[in-house]
Amino acid sequence: MIELDNVRKVYGDGTVAVDDVSLEVPEGETVTLVGPSGCGKTTTMTMVNRLTEITEGDVRIDGESIQDTDVIDLRRNIGYVIQEIGLFEHMTIAENISIVPDLRGWDEERKQERVEELLELIQLPQDVKTQYPANLSGGQRQRVGVARAMAAEPDIILMDEPFGALDPITRDELQDEFLDIQQKLDTTIMFVTHDIDEALKMGDRVAVLRDGELVQYDAPKDLLGSPKNEFVANFIGEDRVLKQLSAVTVREVMNAPQVGEGAGENPLSPDDSLKVALQRIFQQGDPLPVVEDGEVVGQVSEADIQAVTDRRTSEVLQ
Amino acid sequence: MYPPLTILGDTLTWLVENQQSVIEQTIQHLNVSLTSVGIALVLWVPLGLFLHEHDEFAPPVIGTAGMILTLPSLALLPLLIPIVGIGVAPAVVALVLYSALPMIRNTYTGLEEVDESMVRAGRGLGMTDRELLFKVKIPMALPVIFAGIRQAAVLVIGITTIAAFFGAGGLGESIFAGIRLDFPRQVLGATIVVSVIAIATDYGLLAVQRALPGGSEAT
Repeated sequence: MIELDNVRKVYGDGTVAVDDVSLEVPEGETVTLVGPSGCGKTTTMTMVNRLTEITEGDVRIDGESIQDTDVIDLRRNIGYVIQEIGLFEHMTIAENISIVPDLRGWDEERKQERVEELLELIQLPQDVKTQYPANLSGGQRQRVGVARAMAAEPDIILMDEPFGALDPITRDELQDEFLDIQQKLDTTIMFVTHDIDEALKMGDRVAVLRDGELVQYDAPKDLLGSPKNEFVANFIGEDRVLKQLSAVTVREVMNAPQVGEGAGENPLSPDDSLKVALQRIFQQGDPLPVVEDGEVVGQVSEADIQAVTDRRTSEVLQ
Repeated sequence: MYPPLTILGDTLTWLVENQQSVIEQTIQHLNVSLTSVGIALVLWVPLGLFLHEHDEFAPPVIGTAGMILTLPSLALLPLLIPIVGIGVAPAVVALVLYSALPMIRNTYTGLEEVDESMVRAGRGLGMTDRELLFKVKIPMALPVIFAGIRQAAVLVIGITTIAAFFGAGGLGESIFAGIRLDFPRQVLGATIVVSVIAIATDYGLLAVQRALPGGSEAT
């Protein structure tokens, strides 16, 4: 668990980059830090590995202040994915991936094994090992950047706009792959992005920052459902209701099934989003049955979905 | 006046007829040049590293090295003779001094210009300052550092010619004798050999650079 406790960063010229931010990243969760440029999101994150030294406040990892840990040890125990990829052009892919293991003094055989394991995990062919970053595509390089951060099996990974330099299709692919990987690993992750859609998709919780202050810190669906103020609502965008539908699952709104109701031709799964449900309803009419493991467990109608967005929208207006 | 083709023919004839002394002078020439480049390398590249760590000294040191390069070698060499004596020694001292600017400046600039994001990446991954220097900064600055070494080597091979005037030996002897005797084929012949040595050294160092890890893109 990472705890940021009233952290402040004031630069020499008096600029306040981060102003009294407190937040907790629970073990195994991904927290995305999002906000317009200059909001202090990267500064906040790099306080954790002390690339940014704190002016006031404290950061604790599993209860222990990072000020009490040797800074080199601290960084070697935290994975770091750098903006614009940051691979070393003069090192092969294998060398890039095994930097931290190498710094920690792993033997050659163990490093090789780890490189092979990671290449498999990030779905790259083994023969890229001896190639240089310049020979890889942007998406492949970014995968290597992620593998490098995971190499020494850190409990914490910091990611600074890791997919920012990619085209939308590749970005989407990598986001999905990373979510899969993350499910298997259970690493605690802080993830900086300026893209609210990415923040909502990748984060178990989203921290919205503005001018160095933490504006709202909530799970994606709560952020969508009840943005704290106009800034957050505007930042989420005009299509807030649609995003909200993507963030809520059928399971959360379905009603008990009517007796004798069949599964129909194309039933919903409880884990489908309301966005999928609404699209099916437009095509097939409502109510739609919800089926899990071959059994009808509930049903959803357009009114149920409408109720979710109404209720949450009215909460905001109050 | 000679027609050009005749000059070329005469020059080749001279080179063949005098191959014994040409080879001897080439060896002397290389000896003076390479000794100087070697000493310069050991002195100036580390000085460039030092300046990278201590920025405040960079302007005065690089400024001085630049000033040295403006001193005409025909003036610097006789000035050194009372201090270090005649022969190879003043030549080596002068050549080491002339190498200072390209080597120091390129080492310093190369290190300073390593992409800030790369340095940040290294730090973030937990490298110490020393690891950062040897694993990231120096390898990334190597093309620029090498360009400085190559430039210094070519410069030194050229100026070694002048050193012959003050008793350091080398191909300059043939050139100065040729001028005194008004014997163009000898001047031209020895000059061609100096140029060939300079070009070969430049390409030789380029080959070394390419053979280093990640150096395949070097030009």
